[in-house]
Amino acid sequence: MAKVKVATDWLAGCAGCHMSLLDIDERIVKLLELVEITSSPVTDLKHPPKEGVTVGILEGAICNTHNIEVAKQMRERCQILIAVGDCATFGGIPAMRNLCGTEEALKRAYLDAETVVGGLIPDSPELGKPLEMVTGVGEVVKVDLFIPGCPPRADAFWYALTELLAGRVPIVLPPELFTYD
Amino acid sequence: MTMVNININGQKVSAPAGSTILQAAKKAGIDIPTLCDHPALIPVGACRICVVEVKGQRTLITACTFPIAEGLEIQTESPQVVKARKLILDLLFSERNHYCPYCEMSGDCELQNLGYRYGLDHFIYPTYTKGFPIDATRKYFLMDHNRCVLCGRCERACGDLVANHTLGLRNRGANSMIHADANVPFGQSTCVSCGSCLQVCPTGALCDKRSAYMGHDIQMEHIKSTCNQCSVGCGMEIVTRGGNVLKIVGDWDAAVNSGLLCKNGRFDPLYDERQRVTMPLLRRRGKLEPASWEEALQAVAERVGKANAKDLGVLASTYATNEALYLLAKLFRKELKATNVGLLNDVAPKLSDKQGSLADIALGDVILVVGCDPLKDQPVASFFVKRSVDRGARLIVVDGKDNGLAPFAYMNLEMADIGKAIEIAQRAGNPVVVYGAGVTDKAATALKKLQGKASFVAIEPGVNTRAAAALGLNNGFKPSAVKVLYVLLGEQKMGAEDVSKNVDKKAFVIAQASFVSPLTERADVVLPMAIWSEREGSLTNTEGSVQKVNKAVEPAGEAKPDWEVISLLADKLGKKLGASLDEISARATQELK
Repeated sequence: MAKVKVATDWLAGCAGCHMSLLDIDERIVKLLELVEITSSPVTDLKHPPKEGVTVGILEGAICNTHNIEVAKQMRERCQILIAVGDCATFGGIPAMRNLCGTEEALKRAYLDAETVVGGLIPDSPELGKPLEMVTGVGEVVKVDLFIPGCPPRADAFWYALTELLAGRVPIVLPPELFTYD
Repeated sequence: MTMVNININGQKVSAPAGSTILQAAKKAGIDIPTLCDHPALIPVGACRICVVEVKGQRTLITACTFPIAEGLEIQTESPQVVKARKLILDLLFSERNHYCPYCEMSGDCELQNLGYRYGLDHFIYPTYTKGFPIDATRKYFLMDHNRCVLCGRCERACGDLVANHTLGLRNRGANSMIHADANVPFGQSTCVSCGSCLQVCPTGALCDKRSAYMGHDIQMEHIKSTCNQCSVGCGMEIVTRGGNVLKIVGDWDAAVNSGLLCKNGRFDPLYDERQRVTMPLLRRRGKLEPASWEEALQAVAERVGKANAKDLGVLASTYATNEALYLLAKLFRKELKATNVGLLNDVAPKLSDKQGSLADIALGDVILVVGCDPLKDQPVASFFVKRSVDRGARLIVVDGKDNGLAPFAYMNLEMADIGKAIEIAQRAGNPVVVYGAGVTDKAATALKKLQGKASFVAIEPGVNTRAAAALGLNNGFKPSAVKVLYVLLGEQKMGAEDVSKNVDKKAFVIAQASFVSPLTERADVVLPMAIWSEREGSLTNTEGSVQKVNKAVEPAGEAKPDWEVISLLADKLGKKLGASLDEISARATQELK
């Protein structure tokens, strides 16, 4: 049987969810017998293959235009999209910015911070433009499964992936793995 | 009691008439989720998370407010109910800041738990943009409006339980806000910082400053005990983690206070910054120096043992347990025959053979507050009085205009005019006299006219005053006659009542104390004593109920529980007064009956 193709990527996140995925420990050997990880921060390939993957996994919130592009491309190229972590599901830590507004947050970080000398808010055309509002991934693309948690437990990843490999799509994770604290 | 038979989820349930669906279900072990409802509060059906399906009803109805009737058929988790609850949760999460990971309450939050229960894994409504202020103007806890779900529990606790009516809701719908008085900062409001709102808040909107971010409830230990700050004797839970006291919460099951506490009991003991006495001290060549327990007790035993009974003086604080006061009375009064024995606070006079209980306050139609200021000294008792005033009872304060309850009174009188109050009470159906040590002899004589008619509720000053007086420790103390003075000071603050000033400078002073004070500095021997959170024993409240206090953390340094210090001293003096705490407790309780 051909291996199931999986692609992962991170948006406005901290890589913690990917760490938690790797935290399934030796079970990763078993997982790699069944799946092929294509593009991912782990393999350092930037775009999911054009021919598409079965499962796409996104970590992190939507906080700039670049995040939207990445999320949309992942959505187009995967059959089942999983949003992992509190940022991708609810907005998480980056959404704290919503409490003061993007402009104020940029000003505080790049101009008013105590260590800044001759501050400048970055506005290179190569960078994504910050959005007014930080949101979860579900607000810009359709998501098939949400796995909240900061980060989600390694067992939550393992549960979701093994369920998918068995041909079932979980709607909500079982209570012991469903947490967002 | 008439029982009503209903059917919940196909299960036959019978419950007393007048119960709500929620109460009947709870009794039958069927869990219906709630958010705005709280067992101690009057239900209002504001949040609608408890909706259930009732056969024959047009819409879903709130279980917390709907009274049961014979033959009701109820579904608590039907697909329609679950769908409605999910919608309600989506709406609750759609307003204000309900991002869990950086909330203090995360892990212990009732809203979050509901999210888990109904699988809320993302927000379905557009991100909410409005930010609200955080009010941290109160010393002990803050209000973060962004975390508020407008359930109104705090407002009801403030109004219905504490009868303080500081909190209110202003505006409508999404613009509703909890506010204090006429929308002033909480710190400048009529708030009495009793923390009852903090204890009932289901989310992280009200947050204790001292214990914030110190862990989840599951990592903490709750030790039931009795508050040691006044004579009301409220039941409380001492919450600890890793041997540290994090906070104090009211015990909902306690008979006296039913969960309420006040600022003096909930917060002040945790903010006590006085320096502790952590080891025995002994005066050598004019200087107080650390010593071993053996040396210190030996020095005390030598002086006390050799002293004439008439030269011995004993002063006791009522911050001590029944056990310590019993041993003190036994050792000094019975064994050593000392008569110069007194208390560090006054005692309320006995005005009636039949003592009323604090619960009587709730039944009164005319309430006389005479010679005591519960609002300042026994706040939980003042909540009971104010609750009765809310109910329509007439409050007459006979204690001058500065009394804390004066603004709530229908009539304020000076002690000399007590006759007027008694006249009104005589015409009342169910008068209650709440009185303290400030009752003058003349007023006491006048009040005796109400015997048989009124319920007399004594509010003792101090803490364990009732036990101390019953054990004969309030025998009248004359400082001038003392050559050897034993002071069981405990946690009491030394202030104007510092009697040691009037004691002969050459007198030998022994202080059994928890904190460094002018008295311990002047003493010849200081015996370090454990404080409220570090000792076991019992306290007698103003009504005479004996209630247990439990040890939550280890004593600081070499400090020992109050009773143990006296027990060790008795051993040194060759007097056997009881071996174990249980034995001493049993004897003390027997004596106090």
